[in-house]
Amino acid sequence: MASVVFQDVVKKFGTFTAVSDLNLEVRDKEFLVLLGPSGCGKTTTMRMVAGLEEVTAGEIFIGSDPVNDVLPKYRDVAMVFQSYALYPHLSVADNIGYPLKIRKVPQDKMRQMVMEVARRVELDGLLDRLPKQLSGGQRQRVALARAIIRTPKVFLMDEPLSNLDAKLRVQMRAELKHLQHELQVTTIYVTHDQIEAMTLAHRVAVMNKGVIEQLGTPKEIYNDPRTLFVAGFIGSPPMNLIDGEVKDGVFTSFGGVRVDGLGSATVASAVLGVRPEDIHVLPAGSEKTNIVAPIYSVELTGESTLVTLRAGAALLTVRADKNFVGDFDQMVEAGFAPGRVFLFDRQSQDRVDF
Amino acid sequence: MAHRRKSIGIQRIAAYAAIAVALVVTLFPVYWIAANSFKYDIDIFSIPPQWVPANPTSKHYHAAFVERPFLIYALNSLIIAVSTTLVSVVFGSLAGYALARFQYPGRWRYQISFWILSTRMMPPIVTIIPLYIAFNHLSMLNTKPAVIIAYTAFNLPFATWMMKSYFQDLPVELEEAAMVDGDTRWGAFLHVALPLARPGLAATAIFCLIISWNEFLLALILTLTERSQTLPIGIAGRVTQYNTYWGEISAAGFTACIPIMIFAFVVQKHLVRGISFGAVKG
Repeated sequence: MASVVFQDVVKKFGTFTAVSDLNLEVRDKEFLVLLGPSGCGKTTTMRMVAGLEEVTAGEIFIGSDPVNDVLPKYRDVAMVFQSYALYPHLSVADNIGYPLKIRKVPQDKMRQMVMEVARRVELDGLLDRLPKQLSGGQRQRVALARAIIRTPKVFLMDEPLSNLDAKLRVQMRAELKHLQHELQVTTIYVTHDQIEAMTLAHRVAVMNKGVIEQLGTPKEIYNDPRTLFVAGFIGSPPMNLIDGEVKDGVFTSFGGVRVDGLGSATVASAVLGVRPEDIHVLPAGSEKTNIVAPIYSVELTGESTLVTLRAGAALLTVRADKNFVGDFDQMVEAGFAPGRVFLFDRQSQDRVDF
Repeated sequence: MAHRRKSIGIQRIAAYAAIAVALVVTLFPVYWIAANSFKYDIDIFSIPPQWVPANPTSKHYHAAFVERPFLIYALNSLIIAVSTTLVSVVFGSLAGYALARFQYPGRWRYQISFWILSTRMMPPIVTIIPLYIAFNHLSMLNTKPAVIIAYTAFNLPFATWMMKSYFQDLPVELEEAAMVDGDTRWGAFLHVALPLARPGLAATAIFCLIISWNEFLLALILTLTERSQTLPIGIAGRVTQYNTYWGEISAAGFTACIPIMIFAFVVQKHLVRGISFGAVKG
């Protein structure tokens, strides 16, 4: 059990900078998710912790030990690969027991531990099979069992659920979260799926182009995005981002969106952000109306209705009541929830507080 | 529909006919050697040809393996071929793995690989005089180690390239997983990469074995007596100034085919996979 600290860590592949100036502390027993689009450096960051990539500059600590020059085998970390990386020539039991075999744990003790872990992930009964005889979910469990059979200082998980079908993914997500809580092992988890990040993490580090855009609890990331990137990346359907200008606290866009009460902010090239659930359909003539626009489409998702409005060139998604009734091109008035509107500077991509 | 079915039938017949022709072309010489090895000299030359030995005899086998030192030639061949194969496969795997997996500055991976391959680009005959002089200085002429060294020099580039492409096709995460699980690089190679590369090892081994078992030119120059002469040299030696002993040549030649055939049958499953490996992904 240990913390993981990144101190000014840089990773370059030739001239390409994959990770630049990373400073991050993963606390002991924390479940930290590195979230970002592909190519943002999140997997590289994790591989540096495992020792599979060398650090170009800076220092990584596991616990209090600097590990830059430590071989993977001495780092005492366990990793679950996206492809699971099960040894195809070994049985399930041998796959799970591999870390113990390398550490020369006696045969009978090893067998007992393998049985124990296998039971925990419900693989007992499949121990003699080869990986190719297993389903995707079972393979995933083998990879997990191989990681948890010894108690490492850190778990590293590289998109472990991305190869599972949607239903299994939700189920395994809950199991992973429970397992981490039970084992109390510091975990770094890489994903591009923001729902996984929101549901699993104690804290999320949103990465983009090799830097951490924002670090915080899922709640903070969702309710208080500090940059345009974080605002657009988190949430499903994503936050509505409307280009326009702000003059003396009044936002106007080409699509006819008008929001006032933004303090005294003045931004020439501004982006207004508002989440679909923070836009409300209002009766005609309401004084809280921020936009009047025709309906582009209506989608019933079950627990709510997604109404898309055409505001000039932009499309605006509104999460309306499940009983919402409306037709194509019908004019709708909508208002933004006060205090739930964010303002960003298009140039700097940063939040503008007001 | 009927037209289509008919054309498929014709294609199929044509394919079988082509296979049949190929089989006759490749197998008939083997059969002819086998048949001749059991015939009396006079029957070997009979017109019309005697397709099946009329009076089978083992006299040529007796002549070759009892009266002449063909057993010793065979033993020399075996020692040389097996040693060459072992050395080539062991070092070829190590070198191939290093080229497939390690990091090299700039284009050095390509440069080194190409340099290794380039040693195969000259015809072997151009190396014979330098090799002869070198082994002469080392007093190694007419020894088995000299032949083994020369053969290894020719087989190793091939083995290295074959194993390199094989290792490159293995997913690198498997070895990474092994290293994170507590293995060293060497352990990951030994426990994970090598077992998975077994088909490649088998294919490489049989190629090395066939090449060194059949090699003639280098052995002809580097060997002198039965101390180091191999089967091909021994067989060629039965073509003498005054007579060509076809019976003995056939008996020894047919016997020389047998070990390779057995080995090929044993590893043929791996062989097919090994040759086609890399052609089809997944």
